[in-house]
Amino acid sequence: MSTPTASSLHRPTLVIGAALLALAFVTWRDASTMQIRAGYGMGADAASYFVAAFLALMGAGHILAAFRWQGDASPSDWKAVGWVALGLGSLVAALWFGAGFILGSTLLFAFTARAFGRKAFPADLALGFVLATVIFLLFNKLLTLALPMGPFERLF
Amino acid sequence: MTYLHSGLAAAWMMAAAAVLPATSVQAQDLELTITAPAGAGGGWDAAARSLQEVMMATGKARSVQVVNVPGAGGTVGLAQFVQGAKGSPDQMLVGGITMVGAIITNKAPHDLTKVTPIARLTGDPLVIVVPASSPYQTMADLMEGIRQDVERTIWAGGSAGGADHILAALVTQAAGIDPAKVNYIAYSGGGESLAAMLGGQVTAGVSGYGEWQGQIESGDLRALAISYPEPIEGIAAQPLKAQGIDIELVNWRGIFAGPDISAEDKAVLEKAVGKTVQSPEWQELIKARGWSDYYAPSAEFAGFLTSETGRVHSILNSIGLAD
Amino acid sequence: MDSLIHLMHGFGTALDPMNLMFAAIGVLLGTAVGVLPGIGPALTVALLLPITFKLDPGGSLIMFAGIYYGGMYGGSTTAILLNTPGESASVVTALEGNQMARRGRGGPALATAAIGSFVAALIATAGLAFFAPILVKVAVKFGPWDYFGLMLIAFVTVSATFGSSPLRGLTSLGIGLWLGLIGIDQLTGQTRLAFGVPNLLDGIEVTTLAVGLFALGECLFVASRHLFNDEKPMAIKGSIWMSREDWRRSWKPWLRGTAVGFPIGALPAGGAEIPTFLSYTMERKLAEKPEEFGQGAIEGVAGPEAANNASAAGTLVPLLTLGLPTSATAAVMLAGFQQYNLQPGPLLFVQHPALVWGLVASLFIANIMLLVLNLPLVGLWVRLLKIPLPWLYAGILVFACMGTIAANPSVVELMLLVGFGLLGFVMRRYDYPVAPVVVGLILGPLADSQLRRALQMSLGDPMILLQHPGSATMIAIATLALVAPFLFKGLARFRQDED
Repeated sequence: MSTPTASSLHRPTLVIGAALLALAFVTWRDASTMQIRAGYGMGADAASYFVAAFLALMGAGHILAAFRWQGDASPSDWKAVGWVALGLGSLVAALWFGAGFILGSTLLFAFTARAFGRKAFPADLALGFVLATVIFLLFNKLLTLALPMGPFERLF
Repeated sequence: MTYLHSGLAAAWMMAAAAVLPATSVQAQDLELTITAPAGAGGGWDAAARSLQEVMMATGKARSVQVVNVPGAGGTVGLAQFVQGAKGSPDQMLVGGITMVGAIITNKAPHDLTKVTPIARLTGDPLVIVVPASSPYQTMADLMEGIRQDVERTIWAGGSAGGADHILAALVTQAAGIDPAKVNYIAYSGGGESLAAMLGGQVTAGVSGYGEWQGQIESGDLRALAISYPEPIEGIAAQPLKAQGIDIELVNWRGIFAGPDISAEDKAVLEKAVGKTVQSPEWQELIKARGWSDYYAPSAEFAGFLTSETGRVHSILNSIGLAD
Repeated sequence: MDSLIHLMHGFGTALDPMNLMFAAIGVLLGTAVGVLPGIGPALTVALLLPITFKLDPGGSLIMFAGIYYGGMYGGSTTAILLNTPGESASVVTALEGNQMARRGRGGPALATAAIGSFVAALIATAGLAFFAPILVKVAVKFGPWDYFGLMLIAFVTVSATFGSSPLRGLTSLGIGLWLGLIGIDQLTGQTRLAFGVPNLLDGIEVTTLAVGLFALGECLFVASRHLFNDEKPMAIKGSIWMSREDWRRSWKPWLRGTAVGFPIGALPAGGAEIPTFLSYTMERKLAEKPEEFGQGAIEGVAGPEAANNASAAGTLVPLLTLGLPTSATAAVMLAGFQQYNLQPGPLLFVQHPALVWGLVASLFIANIMLLVLNLPLVGLWVRLLKIPLPWLYAGILVFACMGTIAANPSVVELMLLVGFGLLGFVMRRYDYPVAPVVVGLILGPLADSQLRRALQMSLGDPMILLQHPGSATMIAIATLALVAPFLFKGLARFRQDED
């Protein structure tokens, strides 16, 4: 994914430019299908058209810039990003399937620690579990904030 | 408005309840969950929590839990409730006229015919006001102003398609002008529209009476009329009906049970709620909160709901918010 | 000087030893909860409000004031140290504050934020006590055209946060504006870009965006570079206290920030974010060493933090005099008042003078308490950074996600948070400034609805914007500010962009 220096075509910029144009198109489509008109002054579609035009302009600017690109991007550790993403995904999944806040947060903690190079996964799991449980008890019991319930939460 | 909801918890409880076999319960050992389809602090949340308080204090239920599922005029909470409370004997949902309007304008996938009406609970008057400096002294003056120049009769009130907007349109219609012509400016909540009123940027304003009570009593705003069918003790402004304008619009709140519940379960809930709202504790509480009792039992509420939905739909249609 | 007598009475109540203790507890709790990333002042106050109900009205009001200021201050701590502002009003603080922290100057950054907040809150609370009734008369005269003028000025000032490339800065702003479109349009009820997802109907929550872009995005970005440059970002270098030089450079921004923050906070639709943007731009323009901006200029922390706290006191003006909550925090406070059967409004000062002046006195006391408790804690907070990176960032993510779930417990909201985190990462990776996205989301819908309200009142005639002296002046200022530097220098830069 790292880009060679001084290339004439910068692919990420091109992709971002295309994405902006696509976004502009979606926005324009959405505005053109609006049904409710304002009786006086401007309707809700005016801002949509403005933003669509603005994004289209930026998209075009990116595509132009992509062909005149010089410089390079610093390398990225995609594995680490993947670990963090896995952690966040676990929390989302835990809530989606009703496994509760503690389990989801424990996994998030452990996977994130792994992303930053920790190798002691079981220890991090334990630490995450303690942290999540403390947060849960503090906020749920003391401050009566309803955090998502799951099997662990029901023990308390 | 704010922040402490527990929609997820609600979703799971509903899911769990849907899986468990539905069993009939006796009133005194009801363990209820009431969904307030709005954030903490709003009217529906307050209604749900008041009901919770009185039901538990009077022993009409053993435990009551309130969960907040905010979003889109209550339609997010309604959708979740329709799916999660099917046939459930121990779940209820708070709703009101705003939800009726929101279902229509948002083209929500579920409407109130999907759920089971249990009781209508409270009804608050809306108030029509003008700034203290306004030349309009009476409702008749305002109506005449509308007939003179409907475009420059600018109304301020809550969100588009809400009860405030509907009342402004009804008044315009009663003045003999096409309600689609009403120049209504929507603000978020009673606060911002209040500032527009006090700043003299608009001609008239609509809000729940309680929200502007302070300004009306201090003389910063002049109340021309309330939308309640009959006069209310302690409110000087007279009903529109008493002033010869045939409009009544009540910001009512009611309570519903899930879809397809059994007749016995429905009877149990109806009885528990009915006894609660007839208790002195409830009467005292709604007085403290500045609400008006508007109780109607299930059958009457169901009929009211049908006529109200039709009425709201036709007026929203005439102002171009529904088709 | 009726107010003065009432205020003295108020101090009499607030200085009771028991009440002083409640103030201290409130400040501690507020700071402790507010310091967690993802938990802004509104949520802090909402969470801790029930605790105060158990006390008598006097004591609970005082504790409440402590929680309010404590939560407000706590939000800036993580913004400075970890680049993870817990709420939108601290986004600007993170810009320079985190750069300072990266250069080992986290201590002075926290100190100037604390003292600036103190100075601002002190002046603004005095302003509240003596000018509230006058100020509010001016504030309600502010029409939609005037708000639109103010938004235009705010939009122009955003360019100060663009960094090196106008193309990228404007793109970030455009993304923010686009996100601002999502949801039901307030004025007409028309749905925009919700794609049938019910959770999108109420629009994108600013806090979710800010926490996603900053906390999650920052974490992903640090993770992605951790392997290559093991920058321990925040080792403490030099004194953790402010030097004489820091003091000299801070005091004027504190006062200017207060001067911007208090009046805008008092406007019914002013809010806390716009003053922080304005203050940042102002300091950048007035700085002796403008080149330090973006590299950790202390003025860029001192000004916006003062503006933020002054606007917090400013929001109490419409709240107490009109019963008008103008921010999420104020809305929660309103709920607090109602618990004591107090209806904020024009009659509050007349009907309950003892409680109102007690509250004002409590705000003074809480503010002093905040400084007394938090200056010594600066050393402790800075030591937070000694937590090993893996655990530090893992903890930040857990708290950030918890804050979002707590505010709106829906899986969709959490997915939005994660999505914004990925967006924040990609933007950082390709060197796009992040703050303009938040700015676009806040200002876009405001400018849209205020402009349309103005046009609705004028029946579509755009000249209304120029007919009112206030809006005409502000539009002129905005145009000048846009045309002068941006057209001549900016366009030149735009042409040789990406060089």
